[in-house]
Amino acid sequence: MAYRLGVDIGGTFTDITLIDEATGQIYTGKVSSTPQDPSGGFMEAVQRLLAKQQIDAQDVAYIVHGTTVATNAIIEGKVAPTGFITTEGFRDMLEIARQIRPTLYDLQFEKPRPLVPRHRCFGVPERLDASGAELTPLDEDALRQVADKLRDEGVESIAVCFLHAYANPTHEQRAGEIIAEIFPEAVVSLSAEVAPEFREYLRASTTVINSCIRPVVARYLQRIEDRLAQAGIAAELLVMQSSGGVYTFAAARQKPVYMVESGPAAGVIAAAHLGQARGYDQVISFDMGGTTAKAGLIQGGAPSVTKDYEVGTTAQSGVGATRGAGYPIRTPVIDLVEIGAGGGSIAWVDPGGILRVGPQSAGADPGPVCYGQGGTQPTVTDANLVLGRLNPNYFLGGEIALDPTAAQRAIEQHCAQPLDMDLVEAAHGIVEIANTAMVNALRLVSVQRGYDPRDFALVAFGGAGPAHANRLAALTEIPVAIIPQSPGTASALGLLVTDLKHDYATTHIQRLDQVVPQALEQTFCELETQGRETLGREGMAEAMMDFRRQVDLRYVGQSHELTLPLRTEALGPAQLDQLLEQFHRTHDRAYGFSAPGEDVELVSVRLSAIGQIAKPALAPLAKATGEATAKGQRPVYFAESEGFVDCPVYDRYALGAGAVVQGPAIVEEIDSTTVIHPHYQVRVDEVGQMVLTTSD
Amino acid sequence: MPDQTDPIQFEVIRNALLEATEEMAIALRRSAYSTNIKTRADFSCAFFDRQLRPVAQAFTQPVHLGSLTILTPRAVAEYGPENLQAGDAILVNDPYRGGVHLNDITLISPVYCGAELFGYVANLAHHVDVGGGAPASIGAFQQVYQEGIIIPPVKLVRGGEIAADVFELVIAQIRSKRETRGDFRAQVAANNSGIRRLNGLVEQVGLAQASFYMDRLIDYTRERTLSELTKLPKGEFTATGVVDNDGFTDEPVRLQVRVAIDDEGVLFDLTGCDPQRRAPVNSTYSQTFAACAYVLKCLIDQDVPVNAGFYEQVRLVAPEGTVVNCTAPSPVVGGWETQVRLSDIILRALHPALPDKIPAATKGTMCQVGFGGTDPRTGQLYSYYETMAGGYGGRSTKDGPDAVQCHGQNTENAPIEEIEINYPLRIDRYELIEDSEGAGQHRGGLGLRRDYRFIDHEVSFTVLSDRDRWGPEGLAGGQAGGKARYILDPKGQHVELGSKTTIALAADTVFSYRTCGGGGYGPPHQRDPQTVAEDVREGKVSAERARDEYGVVIDSATGQVDQAATEARRREMADNGL
Repeated sequence: MAYRLGVDIGGTFTDITLIDEATGQIYTGKVSSTPQDPSGGFMEAVQRLLAKQQIDAQDVAYIVHGTTVATNAIIEGKVAPTGFITTEGFRDMLEIARQIRPTLYDLQFEKPRPLVPRHRCFGVPERLDASGAELTPLDEDALRQVADKLRDEGVESIAVCFLHAYANPTHEQRAGEIIAEIFPEAVVSLSAEVAPEFREYLRASTTVINSCIRPVVARYLQRIEDRLAQAGIAAELLVMQSSGGVYTFAAARQKPVYMVESGPAAGVIAAAHLGQARGYDQVISFDMGGTTAKAGLIQGGAPSVTKDYEVGTTAQSGVGATRGAGYPIRTPVIDLVEIGAGGGSIAWVDPGGILRVGPQSAGADPGPVCYGQGGTQPTVTDANLVLGRLNPNYFLGGEIALDPTAAQRAIEQHCAQPLDMDLVEAAHGIVEIANTAMVNALRLVSVQRGYDPRDFALVAFGGAGPAHANRLAALTEIPVAIIPQSPGTASALGLLVTDLKHDYATTHIQRLDQVVPQALEQTFCELETQGRETLGREGMAEAMMDFRRQVDLRYVGQSHELTLPLRTEALGPAQLDQLLEQFHRTHDRAYGFSAPGEDVELVSVRLSAIGQIAKPALAPLAKATGEATAKGQRPVYFAESEGFVDCPVYDRYALGAGAVVQGPAIVEEIDSTTVIHPHYQVRVDEVGQMVLTTSD
Repeated sequence: MPDQTDPIQFEVIRNALLEATEEMAIALRRSAYSTNIKTRADFSCAFFDRQLRPVAQAFTQPVHLGSLTILTPRAVAEYGPENLQAGDAILVNDPYRGGVHLNDITLISPVYCGAELFGYVANLAHHVDVGGGAPASIGAFQQVYQEGIIIPPVKLVRGGEIAADVFELVIAQIRSKRETRGDFRAQVAANNSGIRRLNGLVEQVGLAQASFYMDRLIDYTRERTLSELTKLPKGEFTATGVVDNDGFTDEPVRLQVRVAIDDEGVLFDLTGCDPQRRAPVNSTYSQTFAACAYVLKCLIDQDVPVNAGFYEQVRLVAPEGTVVNCTAPSPVVGGWETQVRLSDIILRALHPALPDKIPAATKGTMCQVGFGGTDPRTGQLYSYYETMAGGYGGRSTKDGPDAVQCHGQNTENAPIEEIEINYPLRIDRYELIEDSEGAGQHRGGLGLRRDYRFIDHEVSFTVLSDRDRWGPEGLAGGQAGGKARYILDPKGQHVELGSKTTIALAADTVFSYRTCGGGGYGPPHQRDPQTVAEDVREGKVSAERARDEYGVVIDSATGQVDQAATEARRREMADNGL
């Protein structure tokens, strides 16, 4: 017997998913998170589920963890005291940042405080030029003095980022050696190792974040290791990265900046897996929880990844660029559009008499008004309840009794009366305005990136996702929506269906027509060697290794690159020609034009070293016997029906494979409610996912 | 046609319009070639309805957005809307047809949905070079004709194709041909992207609905703006200030503002500002309008949208023939210096009315730098342009941030590594300037320096800036921020140059560009000694300055505040009336 565990710690709940490797059977659980020491909630979730399923600790072979510990440390400012060393003349890189204000018309704005205060930032004499050639040798004495000062300052961690170190890491490496000699207690992160790409502020910021969360993450992972050992669990321990791959605890200790967006990444990976189970490799993932909704794009079975990301910003109610509000990182992060529209988002009437939803959220505490825990501002959940879409007696399987009267009162008072609308109109307005914001998020990850949503399947999960999925699919003309089993914990499944992954990148700026295929091949081979060694150390068999090559290209003179895949085979001129053509096509798709006469240049070479992990198939669901029968009926509001209609309510656990439910209908399960609109239907597939399409 | 506003449809359409302009901004930024557009985001995008009223704008540069509002309707009216078909686009930069300085070139396209005109998309981008007397087309000249190519509304795109003759005529005037070609293509792509998105909206809701709700959006914005304006204290508020010099004479450029707030709203009366100069500091009406619009937006709830309903409340008196509404052929390239200073002066005028909201003077200058020469690596001409941050003014409850753009300007810096890869120069230093803050209970932000070194070739180097005679003023007893300095060869001959200078630099010369700090707010001796100690510890303020200006004595051994010495020093300062 062997089992795999996925543990996903969020702000409110710790979700756990267990898969029986042999059968593919999935078991889930949920406990409250323990923010003071998240490893407490982690262990409670593990032990409860093992006990419930009567599984022996020794049979747990493998645990993958998704965690917000890194992000929280940054947002809450609970980072390790860190020093920053750079080239003389540039110590203020972090202070100056991008020199912009995060808001345009706010005279009281704040610039984010640097993670390393200025007195722990030092410049030392050394200089490389853009080709990596040495202009000034590293002043080793100056560096020693700086290391001494940082020791006196009591730092735990040091980030080193010299100008142009992506082109030549030797000065940084020497700096690392010297620091190790005279201040061996400090953990040192070198920019050429953490994020070897040009643009110094982005590289420095990435390296600094890595440094200042390293001790925090190391201690945290140690606590988990210790607790697991005490419990007799000797499983392989892995952490989800922001890119959607997993890496070992050991690798996470070295490069924790790669796990900053660990939690959200799991959801997109789950969506990719669930979509693929139905044969869809073009998927838009939609994860709606209490405070935010997140949309991601999966193309050819692989999530899109961005390298333009800021940590520590908050989601907005609408879609709009806010640069300069957080701390940039330049590691691969699954490209998610996150907006402040969740079940707990508060509805309000603005001074111009317009109904608005979010970005303020009632969160989990006090939560929506209908929870009866002190919330007074009406939320999206309250509106759904008023519209009959949620069952007051079966929320979280009946754990929380919802109070429809309180929800009605709040919407009446805060929305309907000020707008001179009736209650139901106002409640419907709240839901539709939240839907609008979510539609924009879905468009932003698809249309904006040059993809047509009509070619995609929507995978909707998170506790609140299935209540909105049908309407979102209709508004974006996405032809099919998939509602996985246990939508509330589906995200944690992503932890168990991904691969070991190490990303390598190196800046290599050269005109594409001057690239010698053999030389490029050599660069890829060197990265592959690194990846092979790392995976080998992690116990991965050669046969299970896979190397994916990518290059960043742009027209000479542009600054935003497009990342294109390259087949892993010995490179020749023909492949480069193909690549060039593909670049023009992709550019045309993304920006509406291409310039085939213009020179194209190679900017970065990227390699993902992947250690394939067998993915358990989803367990089959028993076939339905006969027609699906409703467990009850209640009035539910649909605009299409111009009012409340008597709507059959189904118990999801009673729906077998092949069952078909015609809308309007409601399907309830413990952690979520699926709303099926008129003219739509769901069919339960052989692994228990509900597949929503139009009826005709 | 709907007769009643459905609040849901309202939000749907409002978001879609905003998103269309955001999509334009992303397309422009990602496909542009010049560092100034692609990296520094020196551009803006907007959507106008059929009546040429601004409806939606992307989150970019307020100075552009305000001026686009004036320029777009004038350009389309002059060209004749009947002469614009689907797939066409006109180019314009003429300062005397509603434009600003010549570098800012706007591309306007009609948005047709089928045979019906829905509106116009426009984007304005600061081009790195538009010809004229100095690389990057900035410098001190006496007529606009010396500043570069002047483009009246002309059709650049015809039926979806770039008109090669017009395009080549424009490109022929320009030094940085390859970059500029790419940037124009990016501008075309941006408008196309907006047109696509807007067509999608019209397909979804219908033209009548979309138009109806655009009207409602403007009404809604007007009502909210008016209701916000009634909350402002009534009265007349005045202030004067100067731009240090005009680039040809040392005669300060005097600016005078009167802000009248009454039941009808806010009036900006600029009567009394100096007559226009034969020097680059003249602001066009569009630029001046943008300065006033920016300030007005800062005074009201940030949540109020920015569109015609807001802009029509910007009431402005700017007499013709003055530095705030110049007439042809006055040069205009430095008009932004005057316009950004105006924002500072208007805010200062309002301080008695809104003491908690108004910051001390910010850097109040664009801090422009431009240069160019022949790249020894390729033998081709290049041009480069950027602007630098400076200190922000102290606020009534908090310090002014260090090294940040201010007011209508919010362009990013260019990464040093990107500059050094693409251009034949090196940046020797890029750091904060210690002790450059305006001392105050809430201090001003620090200025910064960037030292350029040109390798193996001569360049023509231009500073177009200000504030080297007078630093940004303090407020409520705060002191002025440190002055800007423009230093040639700081370690050798050390020549301090004026704020509006074009100079030939020999190969391997260093030019050190040092921006001013922000003004302080409140008396420095009221600053919390612990905060002063923190500034000293971080090296932002020296121990000497802490003692002299703040009256805080720091024990050099421990870095802690010496309480007794501090009390004595502060008493001594009080006795001396400091």
